[in-house]
Order: sequence, then C-alpha cells, then structure tokens
Amino acid sequence: MIRMLGRIGRVPLALAGAVLLWWGASALPGVNPIFLPSPPLVAAAFRELLADGTLLSDLRISLGRAAIGFSIGAVLGVLVGLLTARTRLVGHAVTPMLMLLRPIPAIALVPLAIVWFGIGEGSKHFVIAYTVFLAVWLGTHHGAASVAGTYIRASRSLGAGHLREFFEVVVPAAAPHIVAGLRMGAALAFLSLVAAELTGASSGIGFRIQEARQFMQTDVMFVNLILLGVLGATLDAIFVAISRRLVHWEVM
Amino acid sequence: MDAAVPQGAVLATAAEIRFKGRRGPVQALAPTDLALAPGSFTALIGPSGCGKSTLLNAIAGFAPLAGGRVTVDDAPVRGPSPAVGVVFQQYALFPWFTARGNVEFALKRLGLSREARRAQAEEALAEVGLAGRGDAYPGQLSGGMKQRVALARTLAARPKVLLMDEPFGALDAQTRAAMHELLLRIWSTHRTTVLFVTHDVDEALVLADRVHVMATNPGRIVETLELGDRAARAVAEVGPEYLAHRNRIMALLRHAPAGDEM
Repeated sequence: MIRMLGRIGRVPLALAGAVLLWWGASALPGVNPIFLPSPPLVAAAFRELLADGTLLSDLRISLGRAAIGFSIGAVLGVLVGLLTARTRLVGHAVTPMLMLLRPIPAIALVPLAIVWFGIGEGSKHFVIAYTVFLAVWLGTHHGAASVAGTYIRASRSLGAGHLREFFEVVVPAAAPHIVAGLRMGAALAFLSLVAAELTGASSGIGFRIQEARQFMQTDVMFVNLILLGVLGATLDAIFVAISRRLVHWEVM
Repeated sequence: MDAAVPQGAVLATAAEIRFKGRRGPVQALAPTDLALAPGSFTALIGPSGCGKSTLLNAIAGFAPLAGGRVTVDDAPVRGPSPAVGVVFQQYALFPWFTARGNVEFALKRLGLSREARRAQAEEALAEVGLAGRGDAYPGQLSGGMKQRVALARTLAARPKVLLMDEPFGALDAQTRAAMHELLLRIWSTHRTTVLFVTHDVDEALVLADRVHVMATNPGRIVETLELGDRAARAVAEVGPEYLAHRNRIMALLRHAPAGDEM
C-alpha cells in the first residue's frame, strides 16, 4: 500500500497526518490557542500576512540576504579550499586557523558582526557568508586534497600540464565534495540568516518571529516557522536535483 | 611504421627502489637490470610484493629511484611523460568525461582543431571496437569496454612505450581472451614497446616474447625466458614447448615465498 502510493503520494499524506495530529492536539480541552494555535487560526494569519504584503516583503528580504551571503561565502570557500588543498604553503598557513574557527556557532558571531558592520545589511551578509564559507571550504578542501593518485598519474602520463591537470582532473574529481559542501552551506545559510535577523534587524522572517513574540502572536510565529521549513526543504530539493546533473557520475 | 631510428628502447641499469616502511626503509626493488628492445613485448610475472609494479612505476616516472638509472631512448626518466603510456588495472578513466572525452584528453596536447581531435578520438575508439560508443560515460560501460577506452586513450597520446599494470586482472576469462586478441592486433600495427605486468602465467605466455620471472624479499628478477618465434607458437598453441615454459615458471613461483600483501 505504502509502496503503491509512490514517492510523490507519500509526502503529502505524511504531512496531512502531521497537520491532523496538530489539529487534534490544539482541540484538546485546556489547550490555550495562545500556546498552540489551531491550523485554521494559522491559516487565517497566513492570509492576513499575505494580504498586507508583510509576508512577501519579508520573504524577499530574507532570501536576498541569504543569496548574497551564500554567494560570497560559496565563491570564497571554493577558491580558498582549492588553494589550501593544492598548494602546500597556503595549506600549512591557513588550514589550522580555519579548523579552529569552524566550531564557533554563527549566533556567537552576531554581536561582533554588529560592532564591525553595523545594524544594517552588512552584518547579516557577513554572518551568512562566514558560515557558508567554512562549510564550503571544508568540502572543497577535503575533495581537492583526496583526488585519487591514479587520476593524477594518468593525467601526467597523458601529457597534461599543471593547468589542465587542475581544471580537468582536480576540480571535477573534487566536484562531488564541493557540491556536498555547497549543499551544507545552503542549509547553514538559513540557520545563520535567522540568527542574524533575530537580533538587530527590522525586517525579514527572523525579525517577524521575534516581533510576534513581543505581541504574543503565536499564529504569526507558526506561519513564519512553517515558511522557513518549506523554504529550506524546497531549496535543498532543488539543490539535490541540480547537483545530480552537475556531478552525474557520482551516485548520491 | 618503419621508423629509420627505432624508438621505444627502455634501459634500466641497477634500478633500485625503496619505500619508507614503519621500521625504516624497505627495499621494494633490489638493483635490477632490464632492457626492452624497440617494438618488443615483455611480460613481468611474479607473486604480489615482488616489485613488478614498482619496476613498471619506475619506468613510468611515478616512483623515484633510490639508485641506478632508467632511460627511454637514452633520455633519463625524470617523471611521467606522454612518450611512456600507462594502462592501469583500475582503468583510471575520468568518470566526468565521456569515452570520447577521455580519448580527447590525451589528444589535447597535440594542438589539433576541435574537429580533427574529435575525428581522431572516434578513430581511436573504433580501433578498439567501440565505434559509436563515444558518448557513453565510463560508468555506463562494462569492465572490458572501460579497459578498451583506457587503451584507446593511452595510444592516442602516441607513446613509444606502453606499460600495462595487470590491465585485465579484473576481467572474466572470456573478456580477457578477447582483450588479448585486441591487444596483440593493436601491438602488431603500432609496434610500441610493451611491458606487461601480470600474475597469470598463461597471460604472460600468450602475449609476450620474453618473460621475466620475479621473486620477493627483496623484489628482483630471478629468471628470464625467451619464448621463441611468435608465428610458430601461434600455430602450435599449447604444445610441448608452451608446457615446458609453463612448468618452469610455475616451479619458480612455487619456490618463491608468497608475498604478504594481496
């Protein structure tokens, strides 16, 4: 039965089940709608936020921040990762520092980012770019440092120079790890986006959740939390689809 | 090809290779002499750990020498070069390129036009029996077909010496026999010098004109067999001479202490 429904049918069914459970829980006697708003209440809040334009403007602002931060972090991560993996000098000089920075959570950086870049967009972009950079750097570094020796041997004995060895052998051989790093980076971009918006922001999904807390609007919180979940899952699915084509030779 | 100056002469003189082991350096190859005449077909056979791949790697320029010298056409080997082609046991095809892309990788240094390069790659694939399969990715090909692509790729770089490191070790018996036939046909047209590493006695006897038998601890050549006229051998197939060679090599391999890695 579960098999017959197929992959497409299973997901909506599971989600519908979750919504039913939520509905049931919110209808239990003694459950205050301020603590757990029912699905219709949240749907009403959703329609309201959609109608007055708040939702779309928050979405645009947050996605814009994530896109800019992700782009900066991803480009730097790939470049620095290739450098630390393939040039001994840069590798020895930079890798230990990056290993030390890696465990610092993005949230811990927000206060410093505000001091450095102010309360505006700069600090958000910095926090996102920073977390994305470290994830992408790690994936790229790992991939480019572990290129199979036979690929290098084959390339050299076929007469390829250093440039061709780098662009036609090292980079594609590292590509599956680079793509995995980018996927991780995209997920982290969302985390640090919300972290940056929860403090010192006046717009965006994270700010809206924080604002809703002050007015005890749990229905608004729910709308934005669900929005984050749907957004993250959709982006990840798109990412997987693109990377399947990009590194088609790698079984994922 | 009737080159005025025969090319592809390989000469190893007291070539020695050591690896860093856990307890100091390990002698992987004792000082070894080896001469490959231009256009000859030589097999190296021995148990694992006898240094047969190490010797091949030294000629390929992959493994630095601890002593002695290796030259190809009188030029010392300093590193990998397109003059010395290598076919690996695990194919080493680039999975991100198509079969044709893999062959074109070897052609890029020749500075051909895009069309000429593509045409040459198709030709090379046709020579190994893969006409029309140029668009397939290595992941879509069987082991035998992968090794055909690898052979076409290596030959496309126009090597004077062809080194083959147990290239058919992962193939089933039937595919392997077909590959033997293909390799001999290609060798008879290109006449590159071939050094073929194997641990299969019959493979060595079917393919080579000369077989060096190696032993372990330290890796070294213990005996060399000249197999005689190829045409006569082809007619006789498994005749008394073949069996005599076979028995001799088996005896040598039995007496050699087994290698510790496999």
